[in-house]
Amino acid sequence: MVALLGPNGAGKTTTISIMLGLAAPDAGTVTLFDRPAADAVRAGRAGAMLQDAGFVPGATVRDVVDLARALYPHPLDTESILATAGLEGLASRRVDRLSAGETQRARFAFALAGDPDLLVLDEPTTGMDVAARQRFWTAIRAYAADDHTVLFSTHQLHEADDVADRVVVLTAGRIVADGPPAEIRALAGVGTSASLDAAFLALTTGPVAGGPATRTAETEH
Amino acid sequence: MRAYLRFELRRLARDPRLMFFSVIGPVATYLIFSGWSAGDRLEGLAAPVAVMIGLAGYGAVAGVLMVGSAVSQERAAGWLHQLRVTPLPPGQVVAVKALIGSITAIPPVITVGIAASVQHHVELSAGRWCALLLLMWAGTVPFALLGLAIGYGLSPQIAVPVNFLAFLALSVLGGLLAPATYFPGALRHLAHALPTYRYAELGWRSAAGHPPAPAGLAVLAAWTLLFAAAATWAYRRSTVRR
Repeated sequence: MVALLGPNGAGKTTTISIMLGLAAPDAGTVTLFDRPAADAVRAGRAGAMLQDAGFVPGATVRDVVDLARALYPHPLDTESILATAGLEGLASRRVDRLSAGETQRARFAFALAGDPDLLVLDEPTTGMDVAARQRFWTAIRAYAADDHTVLFSTHQLHEADDVADRVVVLTAGRIVADGPPAEIRALAGVGTSASLDAAFLALTTGPVAGGPATRTAETEH
Repeated sequence: MRAYLRFELRRLARDPRLMFFSVIGPVATYLIFSGWSAGDRLEGLAAPVAVMIGLAGYGAVAGVLMVGSAVSQERAAGWLHQLRVTPLPPGQVVAVKALIGSITAIPPVITVGIAASVQHHVELSAGRWCALLLLMWAGTVPFALLGLAIGYGLSPQIAVPVNFLAFLALSVLGGLLAPATYFPGALRHLAHALPTYRYAELGWRSAAGHPPAPAGLAVLAAWTLLFAAAATWAYRRSTVRR
């Protein structure tokens, strides 16, 4: 489980777009599962919840889940998808009549349906209430434990702290830290008991403010 | 691709706008106005038959353009972006859209046909009805392409009025609503150059037992090429920007 962190405009969404073959990199190449990213997506190896993606009106939750299942070679079964995403009882609801949190769960169901080896989630918990978030992360943990890779971006750093094995911090399009949460704290020069927020601020505001913590991070990087 | 086609058909069936514009609109227009010219001969046919085909074409073009330009909203909603992170090839999305659009041509042909046979006892042989339906379906290709050009090329705020204007201009000037026979000379010449007139002409000629006119096919082919080029350009542009 990898968390992609960074302030607004750091390039998280752009990184994800390039990673999935949606945008072309200015330089270099991206490979997913030993092949070009777009090919891996065509082969059904990846599923994603993207920030600027959404559903069309007129379709029900079951319609979109069934569509996603039909598009992937080895889908999960519908009932387990609905249960994992917390959509029981909403299957026949039209997607344009869902609340923000429910829409987010439906998008999770769509991304999950094909049982992809790589699940990419761009700020997945936006709009979810506390209970829905907890349930969501429990489902994600189970999915990752089942031999899948999950990469997510978030502004809720405690989420990254709780679930990620590896944290990548981006600032202005560059990686400023990469490692397990504990290492990120060390890199930022904050104590082990400090919140990840403190480490994050030390790492990402550094180049502008020029604080001592940042220099440590930069020399170590 | 079949799954996506099914998905889109289900959505189409739930869309009340389609029913309104491509079925209720033309049928109501037929019932109200077809009596006015009932004694005339238009396009080589008894007026009730000619008006029936014109209005069926009107409903068909309305539906086809509507589906194509709705792509604009779907792009804005992020749906096409969502599909791009699945194994579904983008080309198949376009193909399904075009197919779904052209399918909307069928309900107005059937319903206006029923209205005509009930109101004016229009009678055609079963083979003629089938040929008419087939031609009115196949003839929507240029309009499906125009719809996709609008849908992929323009933002929703602009696509809706552009679609409406294109539809109104093409259907009125093409003689689908009021027969071109009643137009003054210059307008009639303009009508003959429009794809809508030539599209309805496929139906008029088939109902009269004639094969499609070469001049008509040439005009339709030229518009088809033009709209195909516009749709391709708009589609390319929409994927590059992402």
